[in-house]
Amino acid sequence: MTARRLRAAVILAISAVFLLAWAFPIIWSVLNSFKTDSDVLAYPPKLIFSPTLGAYREVLFGSGSILPNLVSSMIISVGTTIVTMLMAIPAAYALARLRFHGKKFAGFYVLTTQMLPPVGIIIPYFLVLQTIGWIDTYQGIILIYLSFSLPFAIWLLVSYFEDIPLEMEEAAYLDGASRLRTLWRIIIPQVRGGIAVTVVFVFLNAWNEFLFAVVLSGNTVRPVTVAMFNFVSVEQTLWAKLAAVSVLAMLPVVVLGVVAQKQIVKGLTIGAVKGGGRR
Amino acid sequence: MTGRGHVKFRDIVKMHGEFAALKGVSFDIEPGEFFALLGPSGSGKSTTLRILAGLDAPTAGHVFIDGKDVTSTDARDRDIAMVFQSYALYPHMTVAENIAFPLEMARLPKAAIGSAVKEAAQKVKIEHLLGRKPGQLSGGQQQRCALARAIVRKARLFLLDEPLSNLDAKLRLETRAELKKLQRSLGVTAVYVTHDQEEAMTLADRMAVFMAGEIQQVGTPAEVFAQPNSIDIAGFIGNPPMNLVPARYTNGDILVAGHRLKTAARLPDERDVIAGLRPSALRIAPDGLKAQVDLVEDLGDMAVLDLNCGGTIMRMRVGDHDVPREGDTIYVTARPQDIHLFDPTTRKRL
Repeated sequence: MTARRLRAAVILAISAVFLLAWAFPIIWSVLNSFKTDSDVLAYPPKLIFSPTLGAYREVLFGSGSILPNLVSSMIISVGTTIVTMLMAIPAAYALARLRFHGKKFAGFYVLTTQMLPPVGIIIPYFLVLQTIGWIDTYQGIILIYLSFSLPFAIWLLVSYFEDIPLEMEEAAYLDGASRLRTLWRIIIPQVRGGIAVTVVFVFLNAWNEFLFAVVLSGNTVRPVTVAMFNFVSVEQTLWAKLAAVSVLAMLPVVVLGVVAQKQIVKGLTIGAVKGGGRR
Repeated sequence: MTGRGHVKFRDIVKMHGEFAALKGVSFDIEPGEFFALLGPSGSGKSTTLRILAGLDAPTAGHVFIDGKDVTSTDARDRDIAMVFQSYALYPHMTVAENIAFPLEMARLPKAAIGSAVKEAAQKVKIEHLLGRKPGQLSGGQQQRCALARAIVRKARLFLLDEPLSNLDAKLRLETRAELKKLQRSLGVTAVYVTHDQEEAMTLADRMAVFMAGEIQQVGTPAEVFAQPNSIDIAGFIGNPPMNLVPARYTNGDILVAGHRLKTAARLPDERDVIAGLRPSALRIAPDGLKAQVDLVEDLGDMAVLDLNCGGTIMRMRVGDHDVPREGDTIYVTARPQDIHLFDPTTRKRL
């Protein structure tokens, strides 16, 4: 009994350390976002201070408002998610079910695109977009994001589709349903969890993306991850504002995480446990 | 309704790469018949059902339903209902929605669907479960739901792929009887796949026995039981299965383990044969074949004996009275008409 208690205490202590290490930057950002610039730089750091919404007011409605950047990020992320899902669902279904020439290669290709180091393809991407005049456009960034979100989404969804027993589809055909109808009425409702998980991941990947955005965006289309750096310059860093923008940028992620938590956990376990999707 | 559901299989071949799953299968099913496809696993019976349903295409040959060649007709245009071994219920729909699905696909008006669903549910006694999801049903209830979904459309053919194999033994017997009554009352043609010879014997009007991708015999259960036309069928049908022992045929008699038994067969020459004797056909007689009782399996109302007849092992079924004891020596014989003779090389009935 005591050995078990000791074990629990050790596990708790280790978890606490990890949690603190993980939560520290977030706590730091949240705290500093409510401080004035002078409070941020105070030494030793103040834990007790009079909170202010000044930084938020400034970054949202001041001269260098990041509101348009938040909107840009939203358009890019939502656009990427919609286009990705529209293409990934039929593609994943096809890979999971249909027999066609080159299927093995297609599956492998989808996976290899995930292994490329992003840095290696930024310049080719830049040149391609430049040639077709899509630098600093929504369609340009969404197109590039598709190149990695689509394989990822397909790869994730295939396992969900494969978990649906083939007999279920055959039953639907015999009941008089076409393949498309079967997909829509029988298959997709059963992979809802997997689709929800995929939507969340694709959205978050697009929302959090920085590397491609910094190269391929410009003054017209500038997502918030890139715009944040307006507050970092050679002379000084506007910590309070940077923290406020960080918190704002984190908000959708947190909201999505909370809303979809149940689906994500369920979806992940369904993917892991064979046959668990038949509920 | 009568006259619907005539099935004709002609020379159906199904290749899986180099492997022939079906090697030229032909048979006919009459309208209103309960027809069983019986055979051990891997014998081609399920493949046959899938080809009939249109879920698999044959490599060669033709399938006719009601006189029309449907070999290349889509499954959904064949007007066939099927109960799958796994039931294949749609887990995200309620029982009512599951049963309604085929009618919805047929674009029936809503009101008609509602009453048809109720009627089908009543027939299989699940009308109190219509609002539930399949996950909330027991195995037996899921099975009934699958049945209801299959009968609701009044399709011309009703296919069942080992529908009872996932039920426990008691429920299986109950459902078996109900299934037969249901099929009779609907008057629909049913094709039933099973590896359980008892199921086929009790349910089917006629059956086709599959062995290694071929139909070895088609007939009523009684015919197949009484006149199995190959060693494989003789060993497959009946429980416990027929004793198959090497013997020498001479002039109307056979010599088994040094003992002469009279047969009804008239073969032209003296030759080696395989003699088939059902465990229930063996009886005790003082002038019979000497046998030692190795083992007694008492089943209550009867017993199965393992007999050692000078090295030849046979099984025998006896009633609950006069059961010999293990180690006893008894003498057994069989009536001439109960002795089946088979060719050891072709394995066919002689």
